[in-house]
Amino acid sequence: MTSFRIDSGTLIDRDDVRSFTFNGEKLAGFGGDTVASALLANGKQLVGRSFKYHRPRGILTAGAAEPNALLTIGRDGRRDPNTRATMAELFDGLEARSQNCWPNVNFDIGAMNGLLGPLLGAGFYYKTFMWPAAFWEKVYEPLIRKAAGLGRASYDPDPGYYEKCWAHCDVLVIGAGPAGLAAALTAGRAGARVIIADEGAQLGGGMLAEGGLIGDKAADAVLADIVGELHALPNVEIRKRTTVFGAYDDQVFAAVERVQKHLPEQAINPDRAMERLWRIVAGHVILATGAEERPIVFGGNDRPGVMTAGAMRTYLNAFGVAPGKRVALFANNNQAYQTAIDLEARGIEVAAIIDPRSCPDIDFNGKARLIAGAMVRDTAGRRAIKAVTVRHDDGRDEVIAVDALAVSGGYSPIVHLACHRGAKPVWSDEYAGFMPPEQCDGMVPAGAVAGCEGVVACFDAGAKAVLPVLDGLGFGAEPVRLAGVEGVTASAPNTMAIWSVPSSKGKAFVDYQNDVTAGDINLAMREGYDHVELAKRYTTNGMATDQGKTSNVNAIGILAQNKGVTPGDIGTTTFRPFYTPVSFGALVGASKGFEFQPVRKSPLHGWAARNGAKFVETGLWYRSSWFPKDGETFWRDSVDREVLNVRENVGICDVSTLGKIEIFGADAAEFLNRVYCNAFLKLPVGKARYGIMLREDGFVYDDGTTSCLAENHYFMTTTTALAAGVLTHLEFCAQVLWPDLDVRLASATDQWAQMAVAGPKARDVLAQIIDDDISNEAFPFLAAREVSMFGGRLRGRLFRISFSGELAYEIAVPAGFGESVADAIMVAGEAFGIAPYGTEALGVMRIEKGHVTHAEINGTVTPADLGMGRMVSAKKDDFIGRVMNLREGLVDPMRPALVGVKPKSPSDKFATGSHILKIGDAVSLANDQGYVTSMCYSPSLGHAIGLALVKGGPERYGEEVVIWNGLAGASITGVICNPAFVDPENEKLHA
Amino acid sequence: MSSLVKCPHCGLRPREEFTIRGEVATPRPHAGADEGTWFDHVYLRDNPRGQHREYWHHSGGCRRWLVLDRNTVTHETGDVVDASTLKTEGQA
Amino acid sequence: MRDFLLNNVSPFPAKADANGHAAVHIAPIATGFVTHVLGKGNAKADAAHLTKLISDIAPELGATLRSPSPGQWFWVGDCDVSQGRFAEISGQIPGEYAISDQTHGRVRIMISGPQVRDVLAKGAMIDLADGVFVVGASAMTQIGHIGAMITRTDDDCFEIMVLRSFAVSLWHELHQMAAEFNGPHAG
Ligand SMILES: [Zn+2]
Repeated sequence: MTSFRIDSGTLIDRDDVRSFTFNGEKLAGFGGDTVASALLANGKQLVGRSFKYHRPRGILTAGAAEPNALLTIGRDGRRDPNTRATMAELFDGLEARSQNCWPNVNFDIGAMNGLLGPLLGAGFYYKTFMWPAAFWEKVYEPLIRKAAGLGRASYDPDPGYYEKCWAHCDVLVIGAGPAGLAAALTAGRAGARVIIADEGAQLGGGMLAEGGLIGDKAADAVLADIVGELHALPNVEIRKRTTVFGAYDDQVFAAVERVQKHLPEQAINPDRAMERLWRIVAGHVILATGAEERPIVFGGNDRPGVMTAGAMRTYLNAFGVAPGKRVALFANNNQAYQTAIDLEARGIEVAAIIDPRSCPDIDFNGKARLIAGAMVRDTAGRRAIKAVTVRHDDGRDEVIAVDALAVSGGYSPIVHLACHRGAKPVWSDEYAGFMPPEQCDGMVPAGAVAGCEGVVACFDAGAKAVLPVLDGLGFGAEPVRLAGVEGVTASAPNTMAIWSVPSSKGKAFVDYQNDVTAGDINLAMREGYDHVELAKRYTTNGMATDQGKTSNVNAIGILAQNKGVTPGDIGTTTFRPFYTPVSFGALVGASKGFEFQPVRKSPLHGWAARNGAKFVETGLWYRSSWFPKDGETFWRDSVDREVLNVRENVGICDVSTLGKIEIFGADAAEFLNRVYCNAFLKLPVGKARYGIMLREDGFVYDDGTTSCLAENHYFMTTTTALAAGVLTHLEFCAQVLWPDLDVRLASATDQWAQMAVAGPKARDVLAQIIDDDISNEAFPFLAAREVSMFGGRLRGRLFRISFSGELAYEIAVPAGFGESVADAIMVAGEAFGIAPYGTEALGVMRIEKGHVTHAEINGTVTPADLGMGRMVSAKKDDFIGRVMNLREGLVDPMRPALVGVKPKSPSDKFATGSHILKIGDAVSLANDQGYVTSMCYSPSLGHAIGLALVKGGPERYGEEVVIWNGLAGASITGVICNPAFVDPENEKLHA
Repeated sequence: MSSLVKCPHCGLRPREEFTIRGEVATPRPHAGADEGTWFDHVYLRDNPRGQHREYWHHSGGCRRWLVLDRNTVTHETGDVVDASTLKTEGQA
Repeated sequence: MRDFLLNNVSPFPAKADANGHAAVHIAPIATGFVTHVLGKGNAKADAAHLTKLISDIAPELGATLRSPSPGQWFWVGDCDVSQGRFAEISGQIPGEYAISDQTHGRVRIMISGPQVRDVLAKGAMIDLADGVFVVGASAMTQIGHIGAMITRTDDDCFEIMVLRSFAVSLWHELHQMAAEFNGPHAG
């Protein structure tokens, strides 16, 4: 006989029939079922195969610790592998599949691994596949990968939306069993801000498994009253289906809420998160996580039909599923007897209670035969249990026919969250379990996690545990009480620890999911891996997706037993987040695809788009890279035209993304003088100056221009790349290094739309929209001041600076007016042949002019390396980088320095990154002379040109060298030259 | 997931709002200080197990530089003060 | 001089006001000014002093101040200020305060509705609860990866100030965050 549905179940709704498939077979369950309860109700006890030996496996638990019943649920992008059937709620149309089995779960070829057992023992990864070495890649690894592995992730993108949220509360209650509910209700009534989170679909925890009365009322009615009152309290936030999976520094707790994972596809709201990642900032925490029932390690303890006693009780009372018709209980504690009582109350025969305690101190009045001092040493049955072999205390074996076996090896408090920040749990002989650490990082454990037993005692403990917390918060509170319950007597479970049954026959599993047996742990010990952390890694015990929830304490117990010490002496392995697996979707949240990172758009974005710009991502910015015209099919067609048009006529380019910083204060000039390596103290009002900033180690940090707009008011531009970095650097200088200076910094990058207007006809164009005189005399090179525009309708800031090497201006206007001004410039420039140009053309022109960017300012160059050594002030007492810039290694004349390179034969090409070698030298690091930092095709010159950092630098103008490209296997002959390919005398700039 | 820092100006904020520069180095030396003093200032950093004084920039908030006492073992943060209250230049 | 058209273009999408009936209402604040006021580092500059000062100099603009940082304020208001008027005010402010017009650099969004805190909690860490973040309170913080200043302007109404270049991204994100309350599937 298999498991079957009976006429009970407080959680299921029999009017809500839900159909689903399991390995393609159509089945039905009810609303309120988990996939596990629905499978059991359909008699499906065999649900998967084990990882290593492919043994048939059934459902062991009714909760988050499930090691066996891992299914793949859903399809396509919504496919979730390794889903615990015990946690997955049944919805209509759900598709579930077994894992680890081929061709099917009933007949699995991999089960032959069982025959290879001796090869697959502890440390088999380290032993079996070691030799010969060449076999690893070709034979062993592919074989292991094919045979092993849990469920497979989908290759399709998950169509669901995920998000991350923050929450705040005075009291976070983790777990909504009796202790958590009582704590939440006590705190809620007192007026505290409460969040109560529980991983289950319904609040109740252990209360959900109660079939009988609490006081004089049915357990489910008592629960309904409590939950109803909590819902009615506006200061209590209830989070069902929410696992608090990690405790982090500063009282931040992370939780994942499965918002819509329990819904059929057609019911999913696409605008709502599938899962929500919560970061909860909690003033105080009540840890009411309960306790995990341990299985017992005995021969054949993994046979489908073997289940923890508490799980069996949950299926019976909450889900209306009987495990079989004739059940045995193998338990070493009193609490588990309740399962036998409840089974008998539902009319299910309990064939025997096998209790290893010789004289269990228990008042059991049921019909079941109690076999004291005995243990189960073996089970029989192929795909489901048919019998157990009991070893009596006199050494005699007895075979008892059963169709299900409830097992209880004691209780392990769920202390994980209390230990995530490093605290260690404390072993208790009395409870035969690891209890929460004495210092719980501000958490107050309450209920079963603190050793309480039974609904009434846990409820009472939860209500009382929160009182000191509320008192500390200034809330007067009364502990809530269960109606009709007189007095609370605490009882201990009287657990007699048995870590493994000595007479076990066959494989006795400790870790079901990773197929680790008692024998494996013994072997690891014999081979010297007896430290708990080593034993874990050598045997892989506790390293599966369940993180050893049902196995770790048993493994520790076996180690302790064999060494003749207590489990407390062995200690636990380290508890780390996450408590249960968290989907990547939840961790990623909304940051995927287009939302992966924010986009920054220039105020001229719309103008550029209207002019046909192709955009390129530079950091977060979208910058216009070129503006193709009809007939241009290749980017270079556009870029070459744009360059030549600037050199011959005039062009307009969006430079709004440059960093802009307003600098105010009586000491602003002194401040600039200290952050730039060149002199700034005497920059007059109305003038711009090119400046180089060094790092304190003497290397170049960034370059840009700073203009003096008025006394004590400067306007700095930085490169786009380092806009944020430079502001942060300046803030450090102003706040930390020189807090006595009166200097104030305001980021103004976004306030201004800034355009470069460059080319011999630039002045003619701008004169049409600027009211002021901008003749060469009135507005010479490096002039910078506010100007009136459009007949006084707008004021802008005009700078006569040039990156292209042409006569050029940059005009900045309030961002909102940017598009109109750019449009006006286009109209004004039409007669002069104006055309927009993008960052590619800008890049070409700056290489033609020999101007550097961060391709050259790479963190290893000095101003001298860039040919700007004379800018470094020798007069200034101090500036950032002054001392270190004079270090021996930084003034070595043979340092690589900036030069131009060009091919000897104009038709030859070369690539950025190519290395420079002397002609005739072998290719070697020792012979390396430097490398090409930037290159482009120069439409002005008609051949490739480049900038390079080459040993000796300008001393070598005219020298023929090899430009070697190791990646492409190509090298050409090049010539070192002046990096200013165009207008080396700067005549255009000053025109 | 996160941790929280108590900015003296903004209150409790998540770590993501901050940029960490590293240990509070020796005060910035005078320009005339010897090379060893400068090397210590620019390059020498401790890597202690335990209390560590660090510069944190509240880049996602008030944009002030803070000095934070952090325990590298427990991550506990003690005093957080505005860095301008410490005189860090010219003491060498 | 030709008669060029000068439009002040909003960084927000053209149909930015379309969700007037939504549960969570999101709207750009199209008019007004934002001025960054920077007090002298170690001066006794305080908000009360500054309030009096600007009330005297420009009484027509109101004196709403929001501080992103000690000694710094955003002076904001809902009426438009010409560049000329701003220059006048600049000239009248004493040297212990520097002012930088940020009207174009920092743009404002109004977001309101009963679930507004649930929406903002998807991006901002700070506690916006009624008794904690009172009407008039403001905080410079982050919404997701985007820096923003959040100000509570009424019971269930907040104003978000963001750098102009991030406006489209934040606009999109706020709508995504509010979609479960606003979308066709809401309810
Ligand atoms: Zn701050």
